[in-house]
Amino acid sequence: MAHATTATAGGKKEAAHHFKDMDHEFETCKQGLWLFLLQEVLFFSPLFVGYYVFRGLYPEDWHAASHHLDPKMGAINTVILICSSLSMAQAVHGAQTNNRRKSIIGLILTLIFAGGFLVVKFFEYSHKFELGLLPAGAFTYTGADLSGYPHAKLYYSLYFAMTGLHGIHVIGGMAVIAWILKRTLKGEFDSNYYTPVEMVGLYWHFVDLVWIYLFPILYLLG
Amino acid sequence: MAAEKKGSKNSEHHGHHIVPPKVLYTVWGLLLLGTALTVAASMFHFGALNYVIGMVIATVKASLVVMFFMGMKYDSNENRVIFLTSFVFVAIFFLLTFTDLFFRGTVEFDAGRFAKAAEARAGAQFKDPWIGTDDLRKRGHDLFMTNCIACHGPEGKGNGPASVSLNPKPRNFTSGDNWKNGRKPSQVFGTISHGLNAMPSFSTTPAADRWCLAHYVLSLGPAPGKDTPEDLQKAGVDTSGKGGGGGEKTLPVDLAIDIMSEKG
Repeated sequence: MAHATTATAGGKKEAAHHFKDMDHEFETCKQGLWLFLLQEVLFFSPLFVGYYVFRGLYPEDWHAASHHLDPKMGAINTVILICSSLSMAQAVHGAQTNNRRKSIIGLILTLIFAGGFLVVKFFEYSHKFELGLLPAGAFTYTGADLSGYPHAKLYYSLYFAMTGLHGIHVIGGMAVIAWILKRTLKGEFDSNYYTPVEMVGLYWHFVDLVWIYLFPILYLLG
Repeated sequence: MAAEKKGSKNSEHHGHHIVPPKVLYTVWGLLLLGTALTVAASMFHFGALNYVIGMVIATVKASLVVMFFMGMKYDSNENRVIFLTSFVFVAIFFLLTFTDLFFRGTVEFDAGRFAKAAEARAGAQFKDPWIGTDDLRKRGHDLFMTNCIACHGPEGKGNGPASVSLNPKPRNFTSGDNWKNGRKPSQVFGTISHGLNAMPSFSTTPAADRWCLAHYVLSLGPAPGKDTPEDLQKAGVDTSGKGGGGGEKTLPVDLAIDIMSEKG
């Protein structure tokens, strides 16, 4: 039954003609996604390298500038993302076991967590905007605590680049999760075919993965 | 439906491994625990150890996500190699960048020395370099010995080793005859700046140095002509300005970048 290559009256998904069977199709998709994630790791890596280069050059500036980040906010967002990873995994599990209700609840929860993450990020960003703790030329902060640290603005360039790129990934993730939710509601997935659900899940866990490093680096160990 | 469920569970294909919810909850709990530990550890000051602890916990958390949430534990070796390869390249990226960065230490030291030398060369210490003094001629002599003797010879007689292949022969500075552009300092400065016959332009040499050279080579021959204010103006000298003056002043590109980055 797992090798369902024949169409049934119930509209069961068939493997595309260039695949041997559903498993073959699934494996191919997943390999493609791992390749995409390989690229994602490399995509993020220059920002990390840049962060460490300048941290190495200006450790005092980095230390002083990072004090304006609130570890509480960062920790809340870390917990939110970890929970969203769990709910996403549950959604995938629901699809794998023909439990559509579980899948739907999992996806909705993931969307709520993702939204929560962005709300916290919004408050953090607007606070930085108010103080003028902004990248490079836009940096207008005049507080005495950073007056002796000319490279604080460089820290904020990297802070916004790193969290911004991650934030874009969160927004992109929400878009594909919403798309998956819509298709799940339509009943397009079951234990025979749930490739998109699992692929979006892999992507979402990767977004969590990036944050797992961003949190300590930016908020705790500046 | 039950049969199907069973079927996919019994499937031998690793891609269809279903991670049991119990495992998912355990991983979730461990991730939360890891987060709590990271925050707690950062509150104590272990010095450099703080960083190690933070990174180790983050890596353990990341591994849990990759192994269980992303199912790499149950995935094919091929996919494992694909994903882990990215980290190999990130490691190379870090390694080469930081090798370069550490090496920069010595370059920075050199750049400091270089900057000092260049500052001296830019003629900041020479007031009105278009007026010949012994100081200028002494510096001109030093510059001459490193830059000019190949053609003009150590005594400035135009008989350096490279002169053999040149026609017309390089200028013999000990003679006052037939100076094509004249023998006033500003005229010699112009010749050095723009080149003549086989001699290239030395316009990238700081202006003050070109003045030094002009005064030096003129000192090798009969008394030179005197510059009038018009002559100086023709040579591009702003006599009201300070410093090297005269013609464009240039800096090596890397030094310019250094100065800009220090100011920025």
